[in-house]
Amino acid sequence: MSSDRLNGDTRDSPTDSRVARQRPLYSESQVIMTTVKAVIPFVLTYGLFITFHGTSSPGGGFQGGALIASVVLMIAFAFGIESTRAWLSNTLVVVLATLGVAIFAGIALVPMLLGENFLDYTAYYPLLGDTLGLKKYEFVKYGMEAVEIGGIAFIVAGVLMGLFFALAAGMTPTSETNTVGDGIGDNANADTDDTGEVSDATDAGVSDDTIDDSDTDDATDAGVSDDTIDDSDTDDATDAGATDDATDGGDRQ
Amino acid sequence: MSVAAATPSVAGLFPLQSVGITPLEASLFVFVLITAVLTALFRDVLASIVVFAAYSLGLAVLYTFYRAPDVGLTEAAIGAGVTTVFLLLTIAKTTRPATDARFEAINWPAVGVCGLFVLVVGATLPAFPAVGDPASPILANADVTGYYLANAYDETGAENAVTAVLAAYRGFDTFGEAIVVFAAGIASLLVLGREVFTA
Repeated sequence: MSSDRLNGDTRDSPTDSRVARQRPLYSESQVIMTTVKAVIPFVLTYGLFITFHGTSSPGGGFQGGALIASVVLMIAFAFGIESTRAWLSNTLVVVLATLGVAIFAGIALVPMLLGENFLDYTAYYPLLGDTLGLKKYEFVKYGMEAVEIGGIAFIVAGVLMGLFFALAAGMTPTSETNTVGDGIGDNANADTDDTGEVSDATDAGVSDDTIDDSDTDDATDAGVSDDTIDDSDTDDATDAGATDDATDGGDRQ
Repeated sequence: MSVAAATPSVAGLFPLQSVGITPLEASLFVFVLITAVLTALFRDVLASIVVFAAYSLGLAVLYTFYRAPDVGLTEAAIGAGVTTVFLLLTIAKTTRPATDARFEAINWPAVGVCGLFVLVVGATLPAFPAVGDPASPILANADVTGYYLANAYDETGAENAVTAVLAAYRGFDTFGEAIVVFAAGIASLLVLGREVFTA
């Protein structure tokens, strides 16, 4: 529709007088892409530093994990959510979050197996003290770091990335036949100006196969994790459950 | 509490210095207060979100001034950063009514309720000790905090006592919090009716 990004200024679109248009989720901007490219290495390093240095300086797994996730968020804002979604595998996000819980729970529960209290790091001392050559209190420090890095940072980074993409995809229209993990949520109604919006506006309760050519690659990705998507027709159009499309369409016709 | 604490700062900066609030901190309080009110007043949701991010940033700086860099870092990363991104992502999927009005019409009954609340909370302010007062209960009979500060390094080897408390002494709480974050991720999938995050 227009090239401005996320600002939805109604005054520059003379056709919309009653209802404001939908804000495009993404439009390519050389300035943002260059800035993000320059900033990302430092943000990632800072996030890792905050995570790894949590026992010695302000910060820790939570803050560091958020920073690491924000790297992916910045990439998505600069290069398009859909292309980032195709690049970042769902497995990575899920493994990050669940592995974090598993590591934290594992570190916490093993002392109980050894007859000590829950999360009692010193319980590892009789077991590993000689092999690792560490003093008893050092087990507390390295145990904390293991929990901060392998537990909290993994969970927070994974969940924040996942939340971002889940929010960007929006609500999946409820459907009785919807049993597999499908991509209905991200069937892009590519250009709300063309005829595609008619089919999109009516697919709230129906499955989404009545869509024109421009977005078939998105609409048919049931179960497929990452299909190659080009930026131009998908990024600005992840639909929000077809309600806004319906109003938009009614407004234009 | 920070909002309530900022209320008397409008009257003048000098009385605040007697309770340990410097003019710089007082101006930060005012900044946070103004951005908080503007967040509620702006009619345009995008403007609200931007001002809300500024509010979070002000809070983060304020926390840092009060020697809570861990909290400040969290506020900056989560409050000013990730939350703003999520909110922007959400409004990008919505439409807004076209209007020229810059501010929301003020709902006076709501203002009355909020004012009453501020008065009630503000009435408790004189009971607080001055900032950094050594006679304040948290420092005078510091059974718990004193123990942490005295023993955290020897017992855990962590220079950052906050992390020592969070990950060692109160590790069980932190475990619960981490599980809450994980559960939030799953709940979002449930609410959105999806089975995968990306893809």
